[in-house]
Amino acid sequence: MAGLELKALHKTYGQVPVIKGVDLSVSHGEFVVFVGPSGCGKSTLLRMIAGLEDITSGELWIGDRLCNAVEPRDRGIAMVFQSYALYPHMTVYDNVGFGLKLARTDKAERDRKIRDAARILQMEHLLDRKPSQLSGGQRQRVAIGRAIVRQPEVFLFDEPLSNLDAALRVDMRMELAKLHQDLGSTMIYVTHDQVEAMTLADKIVVLNGGVVQQVGAPIDLYQRPANLFVAGFIGSPKMNFAEVSVQSINGGMVTVASKDISAVTVAADTKSLKVGDRLTLGVRPHHLSMDASGTLVGGVSLVERLGNETNVSLRLPSGATWLVVLDGDHNLRPAQALQLAIDAEKVVLFDAAGQSLLAAM
Amino acid sequence: MKLLRRYWLTALAILVSGVVFLIPFAFIIMMAFKDRKQAALLDFSWPQGLHLWDNVVEVVTTRNWMLLTAFINSSILTVASVTLLVVFAAMVGFVLQRRKAKWNGLVEFLILAGLMIPPAIVPTIWLLQGLGLFGKLHGLVLVEIAYGLPFSILLYRAFIATIPRDLDEAAIIDGARPFDVFFRVILPLLWPVTVTNIVVQSVAVFNDFTNPLYYLPGNQNATVQLTLYNFQSQFNSSYNLLFTNIALITIPPLIVFLFFNRQIVAGMTAGAVKG
Amino acid sequence: MARVQSPARSRPSTYPGWFFLPAAIIYGVLFLLPTFASLYFSLTRWTLFNSTFIGLDNFAQFFREPFLIKGLINTVIYAVVSSGLKVVLGLLLAVLLTSQIAARGYLRSVVFFPVLVSTVGVGITFTVLMHPTQGMINEGLAMLGIKGPGWLVDPNLALISVALVDVWKGVGLATVIYIAGIVAIPQDYYEAARIDGSTPWQSFIYVTLPLCRPATVTVITLSFIGGLRTFDLIWAMTRGGPGFASDTIASVIYKQYQAGFYGLSTAGNVVLFVLIGVLVVPLTMLLNRKEGHE
Repeated sequence: MAGLELKALHKTYGQVPVIKGVDLSVSHGEFVVFVGPSGCGKSTLLRMIAGLEDITSGELWIGDRLCNAVEPRDRGIAMVFQSYALYPHMTVYDNVGFGLKLARTDKAERDRKIRDAARILQMEHLLDRKPSQLSGGQRQRVAIGRAIVRQPEVFLFDEPLSNLDAALRVDMRMELAKLHQDLGSTMIYVTHDQVEAMTLADKIVVLNGGVVQQVGAPIDLYQRPANLFVAGFIGSPKMNFAEVSVQSINGGMVTVASKDISAVTVAADTKSLKVGDRLTLGVRPHHLSMDASGTLVGGVSLVERLGNETNVSLRLPSGATWLVVLDGDHNLRPAQALQLAIDAEKVVLFDAAGQSLLAAM
Repeated sequence: MKLLRRYWLTALAILVSGVVFLIPFAFIIMMAFKDRKQAALLDFSWPQGLHLWDNVVEVVTTRNWMLLTAFINSSILTVASVTLLVVFAAMVGFVLQRRKAKWNGLVEFLILAGLMIPPAIVPTIWLLQGLGLFGKLHGLVLVEIAYGLPFSILLYRAFIATIPRDLDEAAIIDGARPFDVFFRVILPLLWPVTVTNIVVQSVAVFNDFTNPLYYLPGNQNATVQLTLYNFQSQFNSSYNLLFTNIALITIPPLIVFLFFNRQIVAGMTAGAVKG
Repeated sequence: MARVQSPARSRPSTYPGWFFLPAAIIYGVLFLLPTFASLYFSLTRWTLFNSTFIGLDNFAQFFREPFLIKGLINTVIYAVVSSGLKVVLGLLLAVLLTSQIAARGYLRSVVFFPVLVSTVGVGITFTVLMHPTQGMINEGLAMLGIKGPGWLVDPNLALISVALVDVWKGVGLATVIYIAGIVAIPQDYYEAARIDGSTPWQSFIYVTLPLCRPATVTVITLSFIGGLRTFDLIWAMTRGGPGFASDTIASVIYKQYQAGFYGLSTAGNVVLFVLIGVLVVPLTMLLNRKEGHE
């Protein structure tokens, strides 16, 4: 049984810090996804866990072992690379069995393990081929197979699906989820694709600039983002933001308004607020609806009709552009004025430092 | 019209290339077939009678089978120096390309220096004497390795740059030690450039004249290029034998050329595209 | 470095430094050490067993003896002539061999094969072919009504004759390097140029020539350095003769070595080393800087 414990992990390249103190605990069997924009340090963090990058300071515990100085091969991990990193000169069989061979596993045992892995991944017919004779999806399977035979405590995935085409990516995503269910191992998965993060994760870790922004279940991150960064990063299309000022405070409710929004009353943590404070209001495109008595008015600048929903770019009086997703099909014309209501129960307020002011639940 | 011009150009190219590049070789072969009297005329004429076999026998048996000894020496020299050269150069190329170290700059400077600087000959002789390697075949092997390293390292480094680092890391995760990473994962992948290296360096070492002349004096361990040089004075009046010798020592490069033309060209042009 | 604590330090690198070791020892002992030693021994009178420090006398002698100065000048002439011709002919042949003519494979092979043949063998063959009266070249010229020169016996021509043989042997390498460079030029550029109304000649001047510049740099550098260092061909063909007419620094080094003037021979080495440094380093810098502008 192996969970993971990261304590104040730091990594610097020369003078440049890339990981600035990450604390995280992962319990056994959890599927954790590291997500963030490119350069946020998510891959570096994964490679530190794998042992491919030295840890500058802090502690890495895998199970009940301090692993900072442990060789990658002794950490009980396996890793699937973005490029798959299959050995081009070996057959699939030898690729999968290479680690066992290095560990001097007895031949019959090795053969059994390789064939087991091949069966799980339904690639028994590929065992004699070389990687160059495989399609992208098949290579992906072999890479996973190579990880499975090691029977690791922790699987590490570094953007494993990003080299696949869109349709295949959806299939492999489901297979990975199934694999996690079947094996029950701890999995750590790095991606920049938030759909992968939302669908696969038990727990998402949002990273930016080498700092953990928020850790939580996917839906929590969506509904209760801790700060502006997470709010903007999670959810597609992106959340709309507006500068607002506090009009009045009434217990746990605060009313805000701006040039574009006449008034919205939101439940929030009002302890430190006072009238006149400048805040940021976040509204997801899905949480706007057409309403003749709505508080938001703008001009249509672009319409995308998808049939089941309609994406509208809306030009607001202040000059800002908001994205609105309306249910169903609407035949809107450019420049047409649109009046919208904001679903006040689902909006989020952020203070000047960008931290969210969600009311405690 | 255009077709006609192309036809003319082709014909002209074949004619000129034939005169410039083929006639000298035809001359060598014809001389090797002639007897001594006809060869002494030095003209481009059809051999009267086939004396090739007589010539070959005489060249090979001269001076107590010296040419045969020389062929054996040259083969040992070529195989030994190229084998070690390939392994050592690949090891350096690998670490040099993969590891960002402070002294990489120095190593690269030394490699470029090795390509440019002419070897200091007498000090090398002095050093070889001190080490007891002067006039010894294995001493020359080491010299050929030293002189061949810079070029081979550059070839390897350029090729290794095309092998993704992920492979090294996958191997490490699979439990490979540094030694395994290189010899079981990387080295097999270097095969194409290894072939190129072997072929290019073999031709260079086999054809080398200057270094054996300096570092391997004496007749008993001459290389084929030295025998040719020695025969030049000895056979001054027997051009048929001299050219038979030239024809014989041209056979190994010819074989290499027929089988590895592509690899040689690839090796020799490496870097021309990228600069 | 901000290493607060470094528990991972003990892990061995994936790219171990000792991989340099075999190569470094051989190269260091047999190449670098003699190179550094030459700087000292060139300042001595040397018998291999003991050396007497004589300052710059060897170099003074080098620049006093007319035949040694001649060798220095010859070296530069040889390098310039042979590398210049290789660049021009190599480029022409490469353009021809990448064009639409038939028998390209045959022509490439024929041009390239001499590169692989023993230099001494080539030297001896051409010595015979260039014989002033009986040689095939002059007999051929006589058939055309031209009186051929005394290629290797004319002191004014001997060096150039050897350089021409060098070109014959080495132009194949220049050609394949240029072919590689030309083939790497995307066809789009030629098509774009044609649409812009460019003639084949203009395409050559404005597309081929600038875009195969890396190949030019390689050919010039390789053949120029090779030309400066050349020894085997000269030795096989003329031994520096007639007189000292075709001596180069490399042949002077050998002659002084044979004569037992080890200090002077080593000084010749240092002179060659300096000459290459003085000519090639600025040359490569010039060639590479211009490339950077494009």
